[in-house]
Amino acid sequence: MPELGRLAICLALLFAVYATGVSIVGAIRRRRHLVRSGAHAAYAVFALVVVAVAILLRALLAHDFSLEYVAAYSSSTLPVQYTVAALWGGQKGSLLFWAFMLTLFTTIVQVQNRERNRDLMPWVTATLMTTAMFFLGLLTFVTDPFERLPIAAREGADLNPLLQNYWMTIHPPSLYTGYVSASVPFAFAIAALATGRLGDQWIRSVRRWSLFSWFFLTLGNLFGARWAYEVLGWGGYWAWDPVENAAFMPWLVSTAYLHSVMIQEKKDMLRVWNMILVLLTFSLTIFGTFLTRSGVISSVHSFTQSGLGPFFIGFLLLVLVVSGGLVAYRFPELRTAATVESFLSREAAFLFNNLVLVGIAFAVFWGTVFPVVSEWVRGVKITVGPPFFNRVNAPLGVALLLLAGIGPAIAWRRASPRNLWRAFATPVGAGLVAAVALLLARVPLGYAHATFALGVFVLGTIAQEFWRGMRARQAMLHESAPRALSRLVGKNRRRYGGYIIHVGVVAVFVGVAASSAFRVEVQQTLAAGQEVAAGKFTLRYEQITKQDDPHMSRLAAVVSVWRDGRQIATLAPEKRFYKKPQQPTTEVAMRPTLTEDLYLVLGSYDEESGLVTILAYVNPLVSWIWIGGVIMALGTTVAMWPTLAERRAPAYALGAARVPAD
Amino acid sequence: MAVLLLAVLLAAPPIAFAAATQQEVEEALTCQCGCGLTVHACNHLQCGSGEPMKKEIRERLAAGETTEAILETFRARYGEKVLSSPTFRGFNWLAWIIPFAAVAAGGLGLAVAIGRWGARSTTAAPAAPEASGALRERLARELAEFDAE
Repeated sequence: MPELGRLAICLALLFAVYATGVSIVGAIRRRRHLVRSGAHAAYAVFALVVVAVAILLRALLAHDFSLEYVAAYSSSTLPVQYTVAALWGGQKGSLLFWAFMLTLFTTIVQVQNRERNRDLMPWVTATLMTTAMFFLGLLTFVTDPFERLPIAAREGADLNPLLQNYWMTIHPPSLYTGYVSASVPFAFAIAALATGRLGDQWIRSVRRWSLFSWFFLTLGNLFGARWAYEVLGWGGYWAWDPVENAAFMPWLVSTAYLHSVMIQEKKDMLRVWNMILVLLTFSLTIFGTFLTRSGVISSVHSFTQSGLGPFFIGFLLLVLVVSGGLVAYRFPELRTAATVESFLSREAAFLFNNLVLVGIAFAVFWGTVFPVVSEWVRGVKITVGPPFFNRVNAPLGVALLLLAGIGPAIAWRRASPRNLWRAFATPVGAGLVAAVALLLARVPLGYAHATFALGVFVLGTIAQEFWRGMRARQAMLHESAPRALSRLVGKNRRRYGGYIIHVGVVAVFVGVAASSAFRVEVQQTLAAGQEVAAGKFTLRYEQITKQDDPHMSRLAAVVSVWRDGRQIATLAPEKRFYKKPQQPTTEVAMRPTLTEDLYLVLGSYDEESGLVTILAYVNPLVSWIWIGGVIMALGTTVAMWPTLAERRAPAYALGAARVPAD
Repeated sequence: MAVLLLAVLLAAPPIAFAAATQQEVEEALTCQCGCGLTVHACNHLQCGSGEPMKKEIRERLAAGETTEAILETFRARYGEKVLSSPTFRGFNWLAWIIPFAAVAAGGLGLAVAIGRWGARSTTAAPAAPEASGALRERLARELAEFDAE
């Protein structure tokens, strides 16, 4: 059976080569039957990759330890959900999973565009299939997921215990979905450059894909943060690890694109810039994978390191050379006359928003690669850790938040003094009131204070937009308030969906600022019955409990939590000792609320004396990071939801109606 | 929402800045166990690197040593890689300066470009209409579009 999987991958590679070649020839010679044949070959690639994935999944679930991959990343006692997650838990599986997602999205794009974008589609197919060729080539020639062991193992080595966590079952697929779906806008961008059809056609065709990719990058980053928070047990959720940075950079550039593309749609400017942002987002996804695989920069994600780095850097160079070459070739046609009339305009606010977002992406990139640069120039190894990234990015983040309040409310073209007053008097007033109230509440001046006050300002502008839109509908159409609000959003989903996303962003900013600036930490060694204070809580260590099963043994410290003389919770932070990879892990215990998380870690336990060391963190407002994520998901759903007309019309009619030929 | 946020912020726990210097020094140093975290963040079970470093920092601070002197001691022992961020000296300056220089250069370029575009736009184009007017106009247009659907 595994041999069948290997055969499927080899055949998929051959079909991908055929699909690429025949699509390009069909496009150049304008032979429709060849283009169609290329599309059909792309379907075949997907079908073959599905077969390969199904076979590997079956081998995992059947504990076929004759396969090197199954033996390395699973065991007979591994719970079934993690056995499924082992599909992307190791390098070979994750590459196969990547190929699966890529060919799935290629198939969806083919189906969506059966009757439209005929000029672009052969180049889209060729670009996506070239990317597929790269991954399938690695799976065929370099790192075979169906490799058999000379002698079948009796038991598997098990999945890394750090990955045996709920968030790890959804973090990588979300991130991969975000990474891989960025290939679709990239493919359309390449197609636009190749054909010279550089107008709005390709931009409109990938609007939802860009948002889809951004959405999953957002989720992937947040799920990863949540995983780090629950599993790594150091009280934080983001350590500016190179691999975290690798996932953050495409998100930043993609966010910049989602804003600047609005200017292209509205004013037909920034064509070159938007093209570069799309190409850069895709390049950064490949760069991210390179960082994860190469081990060139040390990272907590070392479980995915391998010798694949040179292949990824080679592919990245190919992407950069081809993209850069095409942009240079089409540069005269891409250039458009820019017309930004004033600094006090939405166009200018969006341009500065792009500057800050790309600036943060650059700062993160620079900090990530600086150790390599230092070693190369000076021969000295240095570390660029969280203090650097926090210091550099905090002012830029605050500037970004300010722009998030200005952008949605300021007028296009040129804002008059009266417009500025109408748009900003109330939100700025609310922000100032908040700033003073926070000072009175003993929140010191600093980044956190600025973030809170600006958060109120941003929410003020958004609330005002909703309020005025709703009131206008009520005045003109005599609708009830809820009906006016729902129709306002329903008729302008992208705009109001975007505002809802901004509300989520504010929540994330506030959560990050509060938990970074005002965290309380306590470390104490305790005997049974002893207490320690952590912020407003009193923690009493009660007893140690032990559990043992074939998969792991657990040691849990039972801690009662008291506040104002009343017991409010019992928490049990654990140390786990996994048996197959003999590895201890930390299992934190939390009491999350809207105002703060009480976060306990069992530091150590001395069997002889019975003493435990407890680390307690009181992390203010962390929950708002996750709530912000939910709000962002809601906003994205609103923005992406098809309008009534789109839902009623068949796809081909929509294509004809909405995507006029250039 | 803004009111809710403010209420939550005000209800948040009071601020504590316990042992700032100890924490400052621990955060300025990278744990050498390979975890990639700062000495302060590393919580590995009886970490062979982080725990002794924390203890030494505590002792040195108690003996009256300055943060700079302690960091220098660790740098001499482990090399520059023990510092969790680049120093503000020599080549390392580039790490700090380049991101801000890039953003400043971009900002300057953007400001010049917008100034030039603004001057070029000959327009006698009228300023943006008042917001309420714009809203009404947009609303009327969208309603017309809706009716046409």
